[in-house]
Amino acid sequence: MYIADQNNMPKIPKEKFVFVQQGTAIKDENFETKPIGFFKDAMMRFCKNKASVSAMVIILFIIFLSIFGPSFNSYGFNDQDVNRINLPPRIPVLENIGIADGTRVLTNRRVDNLDDPEKYPEGSIVEILNRRTEKNVEMCDVKINYYVYTGYDDEYFWAGTDYLGRDLWTRLCRGSRVSLMIATLAVFANILIGIIYGAIAGYYGGKVDMVMMRICEIIGAFPQVVVATLFIMFFGTGIFSIVMALIIRGWISTARLIRAQFLRFKSREYVLAARTLGVRDRALIFRHILPNSIGPIITKAMIEVPNAIFSESFLAFIGLGLQAPEPSIGVLLSDGQKVLLHYPYQTLFPALLISILMISFNLFSNGLRDAFDPTMRGID
Amino acid sequence: MTRYIIERIIAMFITLFIIVTIAFCVVRMMPGSVYDNPELPQSVIDALEAKAHLNEPLLVQYGYFLKGVILEGDWGTSVKIEPSVPAFDVLVKRIPVTLEINIYSLLISLPLGIIFGTIAALRKNKLADHLISVMVVICISVPSFVFASLLQYVLAFKLELFPIVYESTAVGVQRFASMALPIMALAFGPIATVTRYLRGELVETVNSEFMTLAKTKGLNQVQATVRHAFRNSCLPLTNVIIPMFTNVLGGSLVIERIFSIPGVGGIMINSINANDHPLTIAVLIFYSLVSLLTILIVDLSYGIIDPRIRLEAK
Repeated sequence: MYIADQNNMPKIPKEKFVFVQQGTAIKDENFETKPIGFFKDAMMRFCKNKASVSAMVIILFIIFLSIFGPSFNSYGFNDQDVNRINLPPRIPVLENIGIADGTRVLTNRRVDNLDDPEKYPEGSIVEILNRRTEKNVEMCDVKINYYVYTGYDDEYFWAGTDYLGRDLWTRLCRGSRVSLMIATLAVFANILIGIIYGAIAGYYGGKVDMVMMRICEIIGAFPQVVVATLFIMFFGTGIFSIVMALIIRGWISTARLIRAQFLRFKSREYVLAARTLGVRDRALIFRHILPNSIGPIITKAMIEVPNAIFSESFLAFIGLGLQAPEPSIGVLLSDGQKVLLHYPYQTLFPALLISILMISFNLFSNGLRDAFDPTMRGID
Repeated sequence: MTRYIIERIIAMFITLFIIVTIAFCVVRMMPGSVYDNPELPQSVIDALEAKAHLNEPLLVQYGYFLKGVILEGDWGTSVKIEPSVPAFDVLVKRIPVTLEINIYSLLISLPLGIIFGTIAALRKNKLADHLISVMVVICISVPSFVFASLLQYVLAFKLELFPIVYESTAVGVQRFASMALPIMALAFGPIATVTRYLRGELVETVNSEFMTLAKTKGLNQVQATVRHAFRNSCLPLTNVIIPMFTNVLGGSLVIERIFSIPGVGGIMINSINANDHPLTIAVLIFYSLVSLLTILIVDLSYGIIDPRIRLEAK
């Protein structure tokens, strides 16, 4: 068979080339639509899912708050002031319609003290409730404007203050920043380790695969609570040791996922073709097989983020969280829980924040999974 | 099959041994002595440490510890939480409370989850299904300690329906009332998990051939689903329920703290904070053992339900 050599091609003048279909019009038309790539396709499907899109908007909003929120007011996250402890929330416009107006009900006060400006400064009493006489003393419950009461009339703490007089809004924003940062770092590391480990195990198979998967199984058998506890006991509290504690066991599920993907794709024809052309193992793994798994990897990462946020709060709750004064959502929640019955707003805001964050991330990752892999749709 | 079981059990004990070794080393290498009581003179502390073999190298300490655990069932003695009570006894006293709450919460979540899952599958893409799927997303996402705070504040503090904290001395109905909130807080997650899983399973089996056959012989959709599809989904359901136990046990760590329940979770936190090393090790071993046992049971039940997995493992 004659094989044309590029360098020794016979010179044929250009005029000699003639269109085969010369004379008749070419019947097939150009595509009027543009080709749709993998990501664009996924994007279109994702946008149809309203719940996921709104979840994404909420997540972006929380990220925005976590970055810029602390600079919305002038309080620092660690500005302590014993004169303004446990102030209820007060928000400029909403206070006029009775929500977040900085009032609190003080129970069992003596009626004869109410007129004493030393005890109740001018204008601090909003309402007197439940007048009664007990043991010949007139008692009542007083609804007071706590800001006037403590002499901080000009201040607005949007989410109130905690037991050290620190502004909770600033702490919430900073806390969500810290929590998101821990989650992002942990998930990023988990996915990276998982990809490399799973790719090697899945690609080489055989003995390598067996040994690597046994190691996975042994590490996976360690209970998460125990591993995290030991790790933080050993390395002390801090962002680094919490992230490490989340990584130790976290990468295994990603590794399993990637391994399964490799087992599925490595015997496809295009891989065989690339191998026949002499492509090296590394290029085969990362350029030819791995890109097939990009959808599941992104979905997996988004599923892992709420898990990491949850684990961080969980550790904070059992006393293995960040060191004071650095806040995280878990630290705020566990601090608030201690005074739940007296100052419920200190639990309410972090609880709302973590719930919204977790729900949004779950909806978002569901939408991503449906978008990248429509066959999985509906299997929540 | 027997060989498979024996293999798995041996593997479990090897893993347990590794975990115990690591736990022992980490806990013993922690800064701060067990006996750092400023009121005691140094000579007494030295004597106490010598009695507990704390002055010897780590490896020798570990030898003594293993000897004590295996030969005499002696897990060390608690130092601070309950002074001079054997750690094992402290644990045994508290395990029933923790287990009781966990098992109750799983027991109530199972029928509820099955009911919701079946309803969602039968009314697929109708209002009921959508409501249930919203509930599932919320229950799966929101952590159990947020539910616990909410229940404690609304049901116990505002409405005064239940006691605010657990009452360990109460008996009868009152005892159940004081356990109701922690059980509820722990049950939301498992309910949602079972619902989601069962709905997925049922929706998938609706189109299978045996369902067509069931309808051909005159059953309507509900009858066919409950009698045939549901039974088919029951076996794989066990493999969702058993691992949930570990999750619930982990979640109950926090719940126990919120409701002041004198369970295992409480002493784990306290013993870490108080440097009560023998007790910490004992609690960590307990948690490891429970989670390893769950994995073992899941593996074995997979083997029994689906023989293909057993063959693969050989």
